[in-house]
Amino acid sequence: MDLELAEDRLFFQQNTRRFLERESPVERVRELHRTEHGVDPAWWQRAAELGWTSLLAAEDDGGGSLSGNPVQDAVIVAEELGRMVGPGPFLPTNVVISALSAGGSAGLKEEHLPGLLEGSTTAAWALAEQGGWAPGDVRTEARVEGDEVVLTGEKAYVEAGAAADVVLVVARTGDGLTQVLVPRDHPGVTVVPGHSLDLVRRFARLRFDEVRLPGTAVVGEPGGADGGVERQLQLALTLQSAESVGLMDRVFEFTFAYMGDRYAFGRPISSYQALKHRVADMLLHLESAKATTDAAARALDERDPEVARLVRIAAAYVGDTAVTFIQECVQLLGGIGVTWEHDIHLYLRRATLNRAVLGAPEQHREQIVVRLGV
Amino acid sequence: MTSTTTAGTASSAGTEDVEAFRLRVRAFLAASLPRKDERSGPVSMAEAKQLQAVLFDGGFAGIAFPARYGGAGLTLEHQTVFGQEAAGYRMPTPLAVSVAMLAPTLLDHGSEELKSTHLPRILRGDEIWLQLLSEPSGGSDMAGVLTRAVRSGEQWVVNGAKIWTTGANHADYGMCLARTDPDVPKHAGLSMFAVPLAHDGVRIEPIVASDGGTPHFFQEFLDDVELPAGNLIGELNNGWVVARALLYHERNATAGVGHGRGYRAEADAGAATGTGIDDLIDLARAAGTTGDPVARQLLAEAHVAAVVARQVGDRVMTGIRTGAFRGDWGSLLKLGMGIDAPRRGEIGLAVGGTGAVVWDDGADDGAHDDVDRHSVKWLTARTISIAGGTNEMQRNIVSERLLGMPREASDDRTVPFRELLSRRTAGS
Repeated sequence: MDLELAEDRLFFQQNTRRFLERESPVERVRELHRTEHGVDPAWWQRAAELGWTSLLAAEDDGGGSLSGNPVQDAVIVAEELGRMVGPGPFLPTNVVISALSAGGSAGLKEEHLPGLLEGSTTAAWALAEQGGWAPGDVRTEARVEGDEVVLTGEKAYVEAGAAADVVLVVARTGDGLTQVLVPRDHPGVTVVPGHSLDLVRRFARLRFDEVRLPGTAVVGEPGGADGGVERQLQLALTLQSAESVGLMDRVFEFTFAYMGDRYAFGRPISSYQALKHRVADMLLHLESAKATTDAAARALDERDPEVARLVRIAAAYVGDTAVTFIQECVQLLGGIGVTWEHDIHLYLRRATLNRAVLGAPEQHREQIVVRLGV
Repeated sequence: MTSTTTAGTASSAGTEDVEAFRLRVRAFLAASLPRKDERSGPVSMAEAKQLQAVLFDGGFAGIAFPARYGGAGLTLEHQTVFGQEAAGYRMPTPLAVSVAMLAPTLLDHGSEELKSTHLPRILRGDEIWLQLLSEPSGGSDMAGVLTRAVRSGEQWVVNGAKIWTTGANHADYGMCLARTDPDVPKHAGLSMFAVPLAHDGVRIEPIVASDGGTPHFFQEFLDDVELPAGNLIGELNNGWVVARALLYHERNATAGVGHGRGYRAEADAGAATGTGIDDLIDLARAAGTTGDPVARQLLAEAHVAAVVARQVGDRVMTGIRTGAFRGDWGSLLKLGMGIDAPRRGEIGLAVGGTGAVVWDDGADDGAHDDVDRHSVKWLTARTISIAGGTNEMQRNIVSERLLGMPREASDDRTVPFRELLSRRTAGS
């Protein structure tokens, strides 16, 4: 996290951490594992009261950031969520809120934003298809017929898609992309719920069979959503990176403490050079992950012309680093690190999931090279 | 702690606003310094001295040094801003050791006379200093130096050998760590001296590196070198503290933070505005591998590493400035460089293919000479992982000083040095 947090942001961070420690300790996350959607709706509403859903909405839409840098503020929550492997549709709901606030019609905003902001409803963002995460590969079709839009196709890996009240669907209209806000229970929408490696993060497959909606459900212009989708993807990747940074931060804390407590051959294992040197490398990776994620968030807030590359640098670096970092901590913990009882597997699950969702480091690196003109 | 005194030299109230300073730097650089693309090739020492004098006369040398010693009386934050603005210009990089490592150490520990005599000269580039720390018998275990300084009347007489000094052929003074009391534990019997390299008793020899190019490293033989008593830097038998300060500044300067920010201008330019891997892209283009998915992944990996290194450097500088980070955080950055450099070398070999190691005589392929080729630089790619404290020493510093992990059990801090020495002889 940013090393220059102003007082109000620091207060927000501490509040967020206290809330999670009190209302969503890791034992609670384990309990939620056995529930259908992996989240308690009443808890999500309390989280929304703390501001989790208002940071990325404009003030006119009932939102407002703390610092005038909304992404950097949202990164605070994402990191804290990561530290507690917390539940809830923080990323998809905020991506949809940001999209609606930036490009939704007045009617669409009025209908959906109040519920999303107060946490009484949640949203999902349907980008990926069976072919992967690249917006260029989207095949789901949005056909304009008079003053209606008709959706046909199938979206995959939709986070919180089975629980969400509304889904922002990325579809194709001719050469361009179209985003359509679809109520999940709308006629023609089929939901195939699914689980993931993470204990509480659920994904769904959504089928759209000639789903007919009023043209006002389109966010922005039909065929004109390419720029918006890219910005939402940048936001999502940055929040995901921040969550993984939070995972690393907390895992480092408890692994480090364990190394001081655990004795072998008459001394704490933290005194062995073979282990200390690995910990030194881990501090480098942790600080680097924090630095590159903050840089991505700053680039988004400042509309840096290089933001597309900087976000993917963070996503590629953190995506790879978080999983190897946490596995390294499993090694340092020893046998307890591969048990169900120890919490580290919850962190490893989340980091491994994050590595593969929204595109893997391999795809981000290809995008980086393209953006270097090679 | 050396680190806190160092940070202290840079902070004072009522200094110039950094953004106003930035504009002043920008105007000065545009008017006074050549841009990098105007001349090619590395900056020679002669050019470096000219550039440093231009900086000094403009008031931009020793930005965080007090004005009475020739500095600008500002802060390290101003130095960072200077570094950001200087990215596109030819900078006196060969003087980084003298200006950004030795001068700050002298500022921390030198006597008033040494400081007022030498600091203005060093900051103007008129006098060049280097460090005489490592010895042929050991580099990482620096407190185990064998060079002796013995008091003789009003003088000190120094005998011994030093090694791995950069640019000794151009230097005027060496900051020399010598043993002044062998009958106490090793850290407690050391003192630091200013040694004029023009002394008849100093013999300097170059060390040819494995690239076969012009030597950058030297070794020095000190034979009955007499020094005035005033050449002692810091207190008698307190040389370890001075050496620690010097190493601290060395790691910062190597990592491109602290007083040396701006002196490695190509690093600033690479990550802030350019790819940082232009040379690797050229290699891939020459080898025809830019379309190969594996080569593309590797190029991206090198670019990510270059950018993230700069980002974490900025984070560390911010942490030092705000007080969130205290102590030897330059070590963390130095470790990162020591890990990245060999990996970058490997990536160049992978994307460059056979053409990176076999070339036509007289080929017009952009290389200034054979030493400028990637595969030849690869031979010395580990220099940065070794020089200025090996990766392993940085890992010790990071784990012990930044994270407070326990030291490896050893009695070398309590046993008189003379006894350690007898073990060494017995063991051989």
